[in-house]
Amino acid sequence: MKTLTREPMLGLTLLILVALMFSFILYPQIQVVLVPGLKGYFAFFAEGMWVKPLVNSLEAMALSTTTAVILGFLYAYAMIYSDMPGKPFFRLIGMLPLLSPPFVVAASYILLFGPRGLISYRLLGQSWNVLGLGGLWGVQTIAYFPFAYQLIADVLARSDPRMEQAARNLGAGPWQVFRTVTLPLARPGLASAILITAIYVLEDFGNPALIAGRFTVLPTQAYGLVSGFGDFVGAAAVSTILLVLALMLYLGHLRLEGNRSFVTVSGKAGSMPRPPVPRLVTWGAFTICAILSGVILMVYGVLVLSALTKAFPSNWAFTLEHFDYVRVHSKSLENTFVYCSIAAILCSLYSVLLAFLIQRKEWPGRRIVDFLAIMPAAVPGIFFGIGYATAFNQRWLDWLDRGVLIMISMIFWNIPVAYRAALAGLAQIDRSIDEAATSLGAGSLRGFRDILFPLLREPMLTGLGTAFVRAVTTLSVVIFLFTPGTTVATITIFQLVNDFNWGGATAFTVGLIGLAIAVLSVIWFVTGRRAIVTHSIGG
Amino acid sequence: MDVKFSPPLDENSMPRLTRRTFLKVAGTGIGLTVAGGILAACGGPAQQKASGKISVYSALNETTNNAFVDAFKKAVTGIDVEVLPLAAAGELQTRIRTEKNSPKADVFIGGSSEFHDPLGKEGLLEAYKSPNASSVPDMYKDPNGFWTGWYLGIWGTVLNTDRFAKEMSGVKKPAVWEDLLDPAWKGKIVYPDPVKTGGGYIMIATQVFRFNKDEDKAMDYMKKLHANIGQYAGTSPQCIQLVGQGQFVLAPNWGHDILTAKNQGQPVEFVVPEGTGFEIGAVSIVKGGPNTAAAKAFVDWALTKEAAQLNVKLSNRLSVRNDVPPAPGSPTLEQVKLVNYDRAWASDNKDRLLKKWQAATS
Repeated sequence: MKTLTREPMLGLTLLILVALMFSFILYPQIQVVLVPGLKGYFAFFAEGMWVKPLVNSLEAMALSTTTAVILGFLYAYAMIYSDMPGKPFFRLIGMLPLLSPPFVVAASYILLFGPRGLISYRLLGQSWNVLGLGGLWGVQTIAYFPFAYQLIADVLARSDPRMEQAARNLGAGPWQVFRTVTLPLARPGLASAILITAIYVLEDFGNPALIAGRFTVLPTQAYGLVSGFGDFVGAAAVSTILLVLALMLYLGHLRLEGNRSFVTVSGKAGSMPRPPVPRLVTWGAFTICAILSGVILMVYGVLVLSALTKAFPSNWAFTLEHFDYVRVHSKSLENTFVYCSIAAILCSLYSVLLAFLIQRKEWPGRRIVDFLAIMPAAVPGIFFGIGYATAFNQRWLDWLDRGVLIMISMIFWNIPVAYRAALAGLAQIDRSIDEAATSLGAGSLRGFRDILFPLLREPMLTGLGTAFVRAVTTLSVVIFLFTPGTTVATITIFQLVNDFNWGGATAFTVGLIGLAIAVLSVIWFVTGRRAIVTHSIGG
Repeated sequence: MDVKFSPPLDENSMPRLTRRTFLKVAGTGIGLTVAGGILAACGGPAQQKASGKISVYSALNETTNNAFVDAFKKAVTGIDVEVLPLAAAGELQTRIRTEKNSPKADVFIGGSSEFHDPLGKEGLLEAYKSPNASSVPDMYKDPNGFWTGWYLGIWGTVLNTDRFAKEMSGVKKPAVWEDLLDPAWKGKIVYPDPVKTGGGYIMIATQVFRFNKDEDKAMDYMKKLHANIGQYAGTSPQCIQLVGQGQFVLAPNWGHDILTAKNQGQPVEFVVPEGTGFEIGAVSIVKGGPNTAAAKAFVDWALTKEAAQLNVKLSNRLSVRNDVPPAPGSPTLEQVKLVNYDRAWASDNKDRLLKKWQAATS
């Protein structure tokens, strides 16, 4: 508090950041929570239509999180510990599921593995019923293992190789080292990875909507109530259940994370190679990564095939006509590019500044603001969008351009991602480094600008990339905000799918994924760094 | 030009004055002072020709939207139309609700009347009885004038003709709903989950009305049907997609969507069992929208024979007008035997019926 009163600029910055947060995170959410009113909540909860979706949500969460984390761990272990060939390729493939917009990808699973799927029926002669929990489990595993992988890779990379080398030197075998050194060191990180992945699975709407069939989970119920029955009150109540569940998971995550030390930039440098793993493990790791990559490539391959054929899978004649929709709707692609780029940049700048004020400074209410910065991660997208539409569609705000409002929603929707990345980055930098600057007479903000900011380039880019990808692929946040002139790509895909224009929808999706990869490549090229998209809200 | 306007003298008879219409009006009279402009707009005749731009929230499909707007602009000059397309009426309804403090839409077109009706009751719609609505039978329009029905969507089934011909010789196409209970259909039907889709629920309600509100009989039917259902899907269009791909052979679904898929070359056919449910596609005017006068002109036009023919041609829906024939492949209103669908009852009993259905089929 003393530093704040001594440095008015710092205090003012803080005030602005906090005011923005209250206006754009807390205020819109309160609008939605209040909609049903006490009576509405009572009526809805007494009706009991939410019990089954709640149970289903928890079941799907438990199953998908478990497999996603196991696969994520194997993938991360293979990438960090083994010396298997093709690592850059596997890294790229592991990123693809993060780029998938809703609706289209789940459909290509059905084309591959459905009752008359290309693999299941034509190749294996089986008629699988993938719509339901089984299919959802499979799809969510593939969709969320990259998140688990990024989180766990982060933790594994941070563990000190010297410990493992020491254990080996003392005579422990590779398995014993893994069991008694590697795993215990990774345990807190693993636990937090599990919880964060669980939150993502819990909030997933796109996959259950297309592949879960009658197996209704909370997000699909909330959406169905709005879109099938216009039951706004019920949807808000369901969203509130989701919010509470996600908050509980998040609090668990905070508890687990509380007392870890991350400091790696301390001035005391020292790195040594990790002890080699047995050849068998390397090849085992390679096989698992290859199989996973194969499945992912097939799913996206079907997408590309659908875009390039007349009417996949019944008519395989080659055509480019579907790509005409990319041209016709180029405005929405352009909007997506502009909104998401600007939002991602502002989001990562805001987050880094906020993380600095929270991690390095002491002031009352710090914990609450920290929590607010994370809250959007626990809010279902549709809930976030309705909150914005309710709160900011006011006569006195009519001068505000809708594109700007969409950008603001994207900024604050993705704050948790960029904020956690910045926080993790700051935690790795020893306080003594910026304290040296302030001891030499620099103000806090100057110390931030000249010392910390350059050191934080990596976490900022991480936040930038992830915020961009998430903004590109979101549908539910913008569906209540867009206007004819401010349509974005996911809305176009939604329209094309509802118009039974499968070829157009897939062609447009291919275009969108292409755009995202191009932007990420530019960031990568400019910075010379590869792992741009990373774990988001983890540690 | 930041001028504060006093509210129109008479809310009911005056078109709502907005900045946009004001600028237009002010722009027509060069030399008029600002004050004079206001006076002219407020005191001028109420029946002046509508102009300016309107914003239409449309749940129709994309091709229909584009052609519809072009035709309207040709028929009624001087009004520009901006369409916000979202082929999901529930989202549009939610948008209109969330925007009530500053309505952005003038017209809400498309989507079942179930999505328009509550908005009218909540006071978010402008009551308007178009002179052209006289050609619409009373059962298809709101007595208060909040919405007017202009097309019908018929519930029926989509059949994969390839698989049906190959795998189901000796089985007849469903002429009555009971035909779907034939064990030959076991595992071959995909059905839109009624908890998440309006269509899936309309199917249950249809059974209830078919049995004269004998819910036990309806649930018994749904239970037997459940034994034949291979899968439940999350959305109605997805069912058609799955049948088109041949993943399943039949799905209960919307006739116009089935015909659209058929016209795209998918191997599907629209089959309507007797005693089926339907939706009334409605059009309504949002209260306090930017340009209500022009919105009325749009609704007037949407109820013309020309617009009805265009809609039938582009979206395969049935017109409520008797003088507009249905799309090729679609039955006429006389041919389909509709149930006596009690919309208010269906929506009041939704949660209860869905719970009953869940209990019967789990």
